[in-house]
Amino acid sequence: MLLRLSLFVWISVAMVVALLKAPLVPVLLETTRVLYFHIPCAWIAVVALGWSMLHSILYLVKRDLRHDDHAAAAAGLGLLFCIAATVTGALWAKAMWGAYWNWDPRETSIFFVLLLYTAYLALRSSIQEEEKRARLSAVYSVIAFVAVPFLVFVVPRMYDSLHPDPIINRRGKVDMDPMIVLCFNAMLVGFTGLYFWMQSLRVRVSRLERRAHAA
Amino acid sequence: MDRNWIVLGVSLLVWGLLFLWLVRVEKRVKELERK
Repeated sequence: MLLRLSLFVWISVAMVVALLKAPLVPVLLETTRVLYFHIPCAWIAVVALGWSMLHSILYLVKRDLRHDDHAAAAAGLGLLFCIAATVTGALWAKAMWGAYWNWDPRETSIFFVLLLYTAYLALRSSIQEEEKRARLSAVYSVIAFVAVPFLVFVVPRMYDSLHPDPIINRRGKVDMDPMIVLCFNAMLVGFTGLYFWMQSLRVRVSRLERRAHAA
Repeated sequence: MDRNWIVLGVSLLVWGLLFLWLVRVEKRVKELERK
């Protein structure tokens, strides 16, 4: 419980400092606040989908259903954080560009990631047999994740975009106020802790469901 | 009122509710695991 409370205090303090103490980014002005939530959500989406792929590979190697539980939980949470990143991004786009959706390369990319992992969950729900579901969805997850780095990191950098440079820009530098970078990093760490907590809970629920079905 | 305080209030409220919900889910999961 101490770890949970530490996480609560960590994220709360990071929010207070980010919203009250950190300066605004000159171009973004008031919309800077959205980025303390938008970027960690996008980061966790990539971490979770990578985690799903890792456990899918482990399932294909070991044929242990515990890895399938991890893969499914991570894909579900990855999709959830991807939706959160899309919503916060759309709010930011409305304030900066005047419209919630502009088919910007980064928006188009995240749309494809959403489609890919919605299809993953649809695939899982369409197969009743446990082993077959685990095997097919593991193969799908591995193939789907191959597309993620291209969609998230490569495609948005290949075309001109309205989206501002990422934290580490094209010149490989961090052009931000140190206080903003500190708040970003604190939020990234906090969100990562939150994700792994949610992941462990989801996996435990999956095991309980299996136990209930077996009984 | 300063908008920063409004954004902070809403953010802390949402985070607090999410935290409490997760703690409750974890407690329930522990109970079911013990059975």
